[in-house]
Amino acid sequence: MKNISRVLVANRGEIAVRIITACKGLGIESVAAVSEADKDSMPAKIADRVICIGPPRPTDSYLRADTILCAALGTGSDAIHPGYGFLSEQPELAESCRGNNLIFIGPSPESLRQMGNKLLARKIVKGYSIPVIPGSEKVGDLKEAYKIVKEIGFPVLIKAAAGGGGRGIKIVTNPDELKITFETAAAEARIAFGDETLYFERFFPNARHIEVQIVGDHFGNVIHAGERDCSLQRRYQKVVEEAPAPSISNKLREEIRKAGVTIAKNMKYESLGTVEFILDQDSNQFYFLEMNTRIQVEHPVTEMISGIDLVKEQIRIAANYRLSLSQSDVRLAGHAIECRINAESPELGFQPCPGQITHWLQPQGIGIRVDSHCYSGYFISPYYDSLIAKVITLGADRSQAIDRMRYALKNFVVAGIDTTIPFLSYILNQPDYIKRQVNTSWIEHILDRPLYYTNNKHYDLRRVT
Amino acid sequence: MELTEDEVIQILRLIEESSFDELSLMMGDIKLVVRKRINANAVEEEPAIKPPTESVIAEKPVIELRREKPESKVQKIEDKAAEILEEGFLPIKSPMLGTFYMRPAPGAPPYLEVGSFVEEGDTVCLMEVMKVFNAVKAGVRGYIAKILPESGQLVEYGQTLFLVSPGDRIEKKEIKA
Repeated sequence: MKNISRVLVANRGEIAVRIITACKGLGIESVAAVSEADKDSMPAKIADRVICIGPPRPTDSYLRADTILCAALGTGSDAIHPGYGFLSEQPELAESCRGNNLIFIGPSPESLRQMGNKLLARKIVKGYSIPVIPGSEKVGDLKEAYKIVKEIGFPVLIKAAAGGGGRGIKIVTNPDELKITFETAAAEARIAFGDETLYFERFFPNARHIEVQIVGDHFGNVIHAGERDCSLQRRYQKVVEEAPAPSISNKLREEIRKAGVTIAKNMKYESLGTVEFILDQDSNQFYFLEMNTRIQVEHPVTEMISGIDLVKEQIRIAANYRLSLSQSDVRLAGHAIECRINAESPELGFQPCPGQITHWLQPQGIGIRVDSHCYSGYFISPYYDSLIAKVITLGADRSQAIDRMRYALKNFVVAGIDTTIPFLSYILNQPDYIKRQVNTSWIEHILDRPLYYTNNKHYDLRRVT
Repeated sequence: MELTEDEVIQILRLIEESSFDELSLMMGDIKLVVRKRINANAVEEEPAIKPPTESVIAEKPVIELRREKPESKVQKIEDKAAEILEEGFLPIKSPMLGTFYMRPAPGAPPYLEVGSFVEEGDTVCLMEVMKVFNAVKAGVRGYIAKILPESGQLVEYGQTLFLVSPGDRIEKKEIKA
């Protein structure tokens, strides 16, 4: 590929594997930048070259932009793929790439800046005449907070302007909680993001999370590859995703897709991106939530129904190629579901469960895809997030996709550690889920049911004894 | 314990013909280190200019005679040499990923060379990460036995930079003719 012949993969885990695989498919060399804890990881095993960038702690390795840049230059790479998380949405890295004649596989630093500050993003999107979630500007102090809450009403969400991706969010349900929650939210935002700016947003108790996959190039072309429904969340983190969004009218579907494209087109967006919306099921009105300026964890469900290899497309775009397809070439067929499998113990309040995987057998079959970096004998490090695999199933329709997912989860053998597989199996068998009567609070309600899990021991198939 | 000149020459011949680059020998209170010098006159690269020169100059072995604390028992030459080559060294590892430099500035003398004695707190080299230079401390005490990367080379986190023969400083003693 002209412009890009070697890519430094500045990430770890399943997404690093995904990126290296895409590079191989494009005939591009890959360099895995790994921390000391990841020297034996799958990305290190499959990349053309491995370079150790630092100690296990992310702040000493995967989050060090200067080291990543030095590693890219020193290995003769001409591009950096940041994956998701870590440095993927840091304008500084994208900017330094520019200054050092390296290609940042992602949008421009300007786009990263515009959407990275969630308050600025709301303002920009409002300017494009797209509805945003009713909320406030920056809330400076408690006095102001009381005033704003009076206008918005309870419950209300307190969000960090520098947050995003479900981080830095707190809910306030009554006036008595406001003072303490506001103060702790500011302190936490300062520590987590280095910016204590907060704003308020209305909380919709009966909402769905619907997001549009955007693909844009450097020639002003912007298309969408359909939408995803990510309503099943626990603590603002997605658990199960699917595409297309089920049981919404085609008119509404088109409006949401169009809104996503409008935002990306107006900001001259030049990469993969996701525009997230909240759909209030009581009023059937959708609102802009935020835009994620990177490849997303749940991108495979879109790949499954569209046939587009999004990561390859992202690399091609970064190498200054035109989009390989136009909007009318995008054909969505079937229904896809993704379950995120975490190394967590559902019985212990989803406590992370690092350790060695003694047995690892992935399910196989028509319409089953597993994206993972794990294998038998692999040690799950305590330094990083607990995602160990994504199981994706494709069916001709939603019920076939659910059937295949149930089969896949049942036949996924992981031993040595606890995983969320039994919990996911439980979800996939709930009548509410099957009938699509869920919202973003549904999982929390499920977890409130007494003994929801212990009464369902037959879902626990993970142990090999 | 004495070593005659003939014996020294004999040892030199042995190591020249062997596949080892280095021989350390301890006999009583005498420690003999013989090293085949490779790359001794190669010009060291200045920070970020040109690729390292590949000239390999074979030189006559350099002899250092060190007097150590009196010790008993004479051991077989071959066994001891192999043992020390494998086990006797301590590594100085890179604390970060970056570009490795042996000199504080272009044209300045290097921080050290093979045979230099270092204390724990001594700076042994510089590591550059995006125009920021960081001094690397020895962390161990002893004689530098080997410098592994070329100056100007990209070095990984945890990569071994130097091998050190651990111990205290020993006064050098000329070989009597």
